[in-house]
Amino acid sequence: MKLFRFTYLRRDFNKWSIYTLAIIAFIVIPILTIFFKLFSGPGESWSHMIKYLLLDYSLNSLYLILGCTLLTLVFGVSSAWIVSRYKLPFQRALEWLLILPLAIPSYITAYAYAGFFDYGGSLEFLLRNIGLTSSKFSVTNIYGLIFVLSISLFPYVYVVSRAVFLYQSGRLIEASKSLGASEFQTFFKIVLPMARPAIVGGLVLVLMEVLNDYGAAKYYGVHTFTTGIFRSWFALEEISTAVYLSAILLVLVFAIIGIERFLRGNRSYEISGKSDFKLPKLALSPSWRVLVFIVVSIPILCGFVLPLGQLLYWTVLTFSKVASLSFITIAFQSLGIAFLTSLLTVTFALLVVHFPLWNRIKLLSKSSHLAVLGYAIPGAVIAIGVMIPTLHLDKWLIKVGKQMFDLDLGLLINGTLVVLIYAYIIRFIAVAFNPIEAGQLKIGKSLSESSRLLGKGTLKTFFKIDLPLLKPSLFSAFILVFVDAMKELPLTLILKPYDINTLAVKAYEYASDELVMESALPSLCIIITGVIPILFLNRLILNGTK
Amino acid sequence: MELNNNVLHINSISKTFNGGEDFVVNNLSLTLAKGKIMAIVGESGSGKTTLIRLIAGLETTDGGCIELNNTVVASDLIFVPPEQRNIGMVFQDYALFPHLTVFKNVAYGISKSKTRKQQVEAVLCLVGLNGFDHRYPHQLSGGQQQRVALARALASQPSLLIFDEPFSNLDVNLRIQLRNEIFDIIKKTGVTAIFVTHDTQDAMAIADEIIVLKQGTIIQRGTAKELYNNSVNYYVASLFNQFVMLSNLDLECFGFYSQNNKTSALRLNEFILNEDCEYSLRSKIAKSQFFKGQFLNTLKLQSESYISFYSKEDLTGKVVHIGFNKKNLLVFDS
Repeated sequence: MKLFRFTYLRRDFNKWSIYTLAIIAFIVIPILTIFFKLFSGPGESWSHMIKYLLLDYSLNSLYLILGCTLLTLVFGVSSAWIVSRYKLPFQRALEWLLILPLAIPSYITAYAYAGFFDYGGSLEFLLRNIGLTSSKFSVTNIYGLIFVLSISLFPYVYVVSRAVFLYQSGRLIEASKSLGASEFQTFFKIVLPMARPAIVGGLVLVLMEVLNDYGAAKYYGVHTFTTGIFRSWFALEEISTAVYLSAILLVLVFAIIGIERFLRGNRSYEISGKSDFKLPKLALSPSWRVLVFIVVSIPILCGFVLPLGQLLYWTVLTFSKVASLSFITIAFQSLGIAFLTSLLTVTFALLVVHFPLWNRIKLLSKSSHLAVLGYAIPGAVIAIGVMIPTLHLDKWLIKVGKQMFDLDLGLLINGTLVVLIYAYIIRFIAVAFNPIEAGQLKIGKSLSESSRLLGKGTLKTFFKIDLPLLKPSLFSAFILVFVDAMKELPLTLILKPYDINTLAVKAYEYASDELVMESALPSLCIIITGVIPILFLNRLILNGTK
Repeated sequence: MELNNNVLHINSISKTFNGGEDFVVNNLSLTLAKGKIMAIVGESGSGKTTLIRLIAGLETTDGGCIELNNTVVASDLIFVPPEQRNIGMVFQDYALFPHLTVFKNVAYGISKSKTRKQQVEAVLCLVGLNGFDHRYPHQLSGGQQQRVALARALASQPSLLIFDEPFSNLDVNLRIQLRNEIFDIIKKTGVTAIFVTHDTQDAMAIADEIIVLKQGTIIQRGTAKELYNNSVNYYVASLFNQFVMLSNLDLECFGFYSQNNKTSALRLNEFILNEDCEYSLRSKIAKSQFFKGQFLNTLKLQSESYISFYSKEDLTGKVVHIGFNKKNLLVFDS
């Protein structure tokens, strides 16, 4: 499809075209950096990497992808179907409790599981107390990692599946039943195929997080591409090897996205007509109710109650040791960074949504959607991609300072919050972009067109019409980014200034220093900031179904 | 440049989608004189909404030129943004700002001055909504929202007022009432207006001139009467008439023998229910349904086709003479 014609370039190129170009460059430069750096050749240890480690990284990543796909589908789809279809005791509580595992970052769940199951852990203590000998059961291996990642990430699949089941399936289930199909047949022939595109969409988010994970894999001693990037960067100090690993990881990410697009094709299973029909919930016999209740409770117990219980227990043991003035400072630094990041990310996302509307060159408008790629790219890769160009900029500034003003400048940008927040914006802009774009679509084009026709320019229209109406979407976007920024680990580890710390990094440092119990307090603080918006998200879904 | 009385002059404009492959508006030209009301009709997808969006500056042209009040506002090199075109538009969904009161909605396009309040009140009075200033759009009925949208568009004193399917969200009775009111208001203010509609009843009731669009080109333009009586083709006729198609075989049932391969049709109200016509037949009425104060009768011809016509009484089961005169037969190229 032709999106650009030179004939009208002079007429259609306006200031918004320049701003759109600038924002695309801002987001895409780190990704292009990885690409161009590939041409400067691999580092010295690359051959060693290929010979001894690459197969390990690849196989482990593949096992993680396959294992997590299977488990998150089982946990996510089954629980979503049960809570949307059957009458259960504590129904409302179950619905939001199933989302709560998302509030605990997977690396923290991993620490809790290791502390619970491993030698000398809580399980052994409990068993010994009731007179049983402990079994030698370790979770710190790839199987444990698959389980931990799945149990903390399955809500991505649960949330989308439940939304589809609630919004879409009602009338079709009744139609299927009226044609004589059983509950089982209806689920597998109608409900599941219809929900497939959405479920696959949720699954892709899970896999992006799996490939992004550093903290859990590192703690469990499983070598993945992300741990490899850290190893090349910190242990071997070889940026080109890190870049090569990043490129392979990117190929893997784009392959997953490609497969998702291919599976989705042009299918859209949106049902036309009224969507206010709510599927009546089925009552179950007492024995089935107990069984189904247990099935739904398993992911809640494993994904939320167990890790939270373990962390609370550790917090009680270590509170006096960990809670100090420096800890409070770290907590405030963490909140401050997350606040600033959310504010800037939401602003950028707002620009990414609006610049293309005001720019008249379609090619540019379409390209602005590249901005949302960031969430698919693992944090470690973004960190490398941001660091290389900003280092170049720093070197150039040092040179210019010396030549023009005879000043001995150090690194002005690298090692400061600027680089960290720049990377955060790239990573999280998609998180803010989606609710803002959805809000803008809901408002529709005609209001701003009306304003323009009534003589108000683009900016006046934006401030008087779009912005006031977008407030709820901006609020959702802000909260979602805030939570993600509080949890973020790999990118922060690489880019944070040495004199600044975050709760996530502090928890990681404790765990890495064999002080896993001490990691509980910072972990709990992160969880508390994560729980509130998740409840808010659940309310949004519920309101949507009313 | 020669100045004339035209508010709008469009010269060979085109608009394509899919990278220039699909023409939505194709080499279209038209003029609209000051104070006139024009209706643009056509089926959905005929390009009527795209045409008004091009005029309003909400889309860019792919060739051709648009002049408003003798000033070029769109060409290959020029694009005047919508806020500088002085065009008012009433949208299909009214597009009232939901967070602003009726007063603020109407005042939105008026520059701040001492007389602003009076201006808003005057225009609200004109549309019959005085006293509604402090309400929000969601507190108004569909018809009231439509009036606010009109008041808002009129308040900025546009040189051209465009209505995009203005009555499509209203029920039939309100539609007729509002249509008449809007017609009065437009004539009172003397504003030049374009109505886009797929309903030819609206077009015929309100417009001085109607243009019929199909696949982005003008098929015919003229007054309502011209389009009704002298439709240039079957497409236009089908928009402005209610008729039955008659094949040569059907016509033979009436004793009319045609040698050409053209399409014939007869308006439902031009069937004659007695023997005093040039061509007729005798047949039993299959069914007679009450419809808007009269009866719509259906009978089956020997050619197996069904025809329908109106009568004042219920003719179910009755055997009647039914026919037509040749001058009433509409004939189109196939």
